[in-house]
Amino acid sequence: MKQAGQNGQVTPALSEQLLLSIAEQLKLPFLQIARRAELASLEVNDPGALQDIQTTATTAIGLLDNYLFGARLALEDHYQLQMEPVSISSVLYDTGQQLDAMAKLYGVELELSLGGKFGPVMAHRAALQSALVSLGYSLIEALPSLQDKKLRLQLATHRCRYGIVAGMYSDVEQVTTEALRQGRKLQGHARQPLATLTHGSGAGVFVADAILQAMDSELKVTRHHRLYGLGTILRPNQQIQLV
Amino acid sequence: MHILLIEPDRLLARSYQQALEQAGYSVATGPTAQVAIHAADTQRPDIVILEIQLVSHSGIEFLYEFRSYADWQHIPVIVLSQVPPAEFSDSWAILKDELGVAAYYYKPHTSLTQLLRAVNAVTETIKK
Repeated sequence: MKQAGQNGQVTPALSEQLLLSIAEQLKLPFLQIARRAELASLEVNDPGALQDIQTTATTAIGLLDNYLFGARLALEDHYQLQMEPVSISSVLYDTGQQLDAMAKLYGVELELSLGGKFGPVMAHRAALQSALVSLGYSLIEALPSLQDKKLRLQLATHRCRYGIVAGMYSDVEQVTTEALRQGRKLQGHARQPLATLTHGSGAGVFVADAILQAMDSELKVTRHHRLYGLGTILRPNQQIQLV
Repeated sequence: MHILLIEPDRLLARSYQQALEQAGYSVATGPTAQVAIHAADTQRPDIVILEIQLVSHSGIEFLYEFRSYADWQHIPVIVLSQVPPAEFSDSWAILKDELGVAAYYYKPHTSLTQLLRAVNAVTETIKK
């Protein structure tokens, strides 16, 4: 989706929409910090407040980095990331580490499910991790707004006929191909493009989408056993497997 | 006084709940319109604080459903939303007159103290 600018340059319209989503999304952690800090001034007995504020702020800083990365890729025309053989298990493990504190704050249980041994996949390690962290944050924030029971998010990988799938899964049925397709269309035009999934702008999902596109991949709705989720299909590194 | 707080973000809901409970209110929370309707049925709130932007069913849909029951037609509703009021300027008359919204607050610009003041004002109106 491109638009011609005043000087004839081609401007990626999608990136402007992405920036709008990001700006909207980033209000939330600031709001959480502001209200939590204000509680202290109201002398509410809240022993975990400082720790929670720190976690929210640290996560927000990490998110900003990821969002900047995604926005930069979306703004650049024909940006290509250098691919390398990457261990998908270690990327998922590191993603889990980055998301763990925020997940605990939201009461979401993170699980790592690495069913079987997979060889390396072709990816840009930092970009893949960035995409998964952005996606994970969106899902962690979305899960409690969908249901009131115990919440679980699985970082998982499995083999499919096209390659190795890496993604995040929960038992939330609202994650559908149709919801994602509609969301992509509405991104930047509606306040809540993924209305069946999240109450926010869903920026993390679209940032993940932009990053994965720069890796010649895409965000897809996938299933992992009985769970529903979003993930991407990565190409196995055949050369290493031959060795 | 019982308050039903309909807020989709768990962390914000916790902050609002703690502030309101500190001020002496009893608070039930719900993240979705569906959960909120069930909570309204079991908790019998005196005041509802509502975010418009919810998952699946919006706060407006909740309001239409909520007001369709005779018992809940006069319960004051305070909207505390991340949707700027300017986006509701055209439909404010419907929110106020048809759906009985007592007040509209833009969440990013509303401190806990301002929210408490608004809730206290509504409480005073109920007592009269």
